[in-house]
Amino acid sequence: MTADDFDMDESLTLEVICSTVGARESLVLRLAQQGLLEATADETGQTLLPQRAVVELRRMQRLRRDLGVNFTGAAIIIDLVRRIEALNRELANYRD
Amino acid sequence: MASKKDFYQVLGVQRSASADEIKTAYRKLARKFHPDLNPGDKAAETRFKELQHAYDVLSDAENRKLYDQYGDDWQAVKQGGGPPPPGWQPGRGAGAGASAGAGARGGQGFDFSGFDFGSRGPEGSTPGFDIFEELFGGRTGRNTRRRARGADAEAQLEISLEEAHAGGRRSLQMQVAEVCPTCHGTGTVNENVCPTCHGAGQVAQLKTLEVNIPAGVRDGSTVRLAGQGGAGSEGQPAGDLYLHIRLRPHPVFTVHGDDLEVELPIAPWEAVLGGKVDVQKIDGKAALTIPQGAQTGQRLRLRGQGLNKRKGGRGDEYVRLKIVVPKKVSAEEQRLYEDLRKTSQFDPRNSNRH
Repeated sequence: MTADDFDMDESLTLEVICSTVGARESLVLRLAQQGLLEATADETGQTLLPQRAVVELRRMQRLRRDLGVNFTGAAIIIDLVRRIEALNRELANYRD
Repeated sequence: MASKKDFYQVLGVQRSASADEIKTAYRKLARKFHPDLNPGDKAAETRFKELQHAYDVLSDAENRKLYDQYGDDWQAVKQGGGPPPPGWQPGRGAGAGASAGAGARGGQGFDFSGFDFGSRGPEGSTPGFDIFEELFGGRTGRNTRRRARGADAEAQLEISLEEAHAGGRRSLQMQVAEVCPTCHGTGTVNENVCPTCHGAGQVAQLKTLEVNIPAGVRDGSTVRLAGQGGAGSEGQPAGDLYLHIRLRPHPVFTVHGDDLEVELPIAPWEAVLGGKVDVQKIDGKAALTIPQGAQTGQRLRLRGQGLNKRKGGRGDEYVRLKIVVPKKVSAEEQRLYEDLRKTSQFDPRNSNRH
């Protein structure tokens, strides 16, 4: 995210993320390993994901469900839409 | 409302279209109007909901048959087990709520909460149709965890630059799932389909939320409001609300991160002689000293007069000078300018002179 997010950096355990969005742990772990979700580990080796991952996971799943893209495609779409939004904001600044 | 439009028209296909043609048409239009691809676009969001609604019905062979036969009343036929009685009116229950989503006052809301991993395959086929699954996620009896904790919700909220700077309270209205007051969640009244919720056991209700907008939000920020989502059942915690912030363009300021920029018109003599003029700030006015020999495009910095940052401190305000000249002048001014022309050695095309 380019803009500051609020209460979105808070680290959540894999378990909490999975129960919040109703996803299997193996799926979320795989997405994190592929770099599609931002994940860290604490000193005990437990996987942590930021609160933001909840929103991103849901977005990926909607794109997958509605458009038939896979998770990698969904992650690329999310990234590109974000970049377009940032460009649009810049553009709006210069358009006056 | 979605239920009023012909589902075939919504998808742009013939009534005789094959299942594959319907799927192709849906996918094509979904790619165009999907809310995740058009963030903040209310029209696209509405279109997409209509599409989803139409596809949900027409992609199921049995429902499609009922729809072909009974039109908008197909659902009542399905649930009631027979054709609708004369004078039967589609109620304002489930069907009416399907395309409503979440409306934020003064902004656009969209309830994305209808979401459940694995409830629908990647092919997007849904056996049967239930708007509450669309709106609130969790297929009946399948994902008890999401049923217990309130559903998370996402909404767009448009705010002014002043609100982003100072923060403040906003009330917004969201569509949330509540237990149906008529049948108390059973879906039936005296062994008939509940007239209020059409058997769903839940109704979509507008709920007014008071949300605190923290100072320092920016366009594109997401604010998580814990416990402000859908109500949890049986004492379970409520879901969270994710507010995606959009900034309304400001008539005076442009925003660059934490900094603000404003254009300040000045007269030729103010530019030459310098002076003090008032300049607008996000929270008032400031006296700005214009240096002698100021130029158009020159940027003056008002340190610490920009936007409040999220973790304390403020950005800067930049004042961009623009020398403007009067279009019409009095006879006296005309004479003074002519004097100036005679007296001045200044040649703007030869910058070595001055």
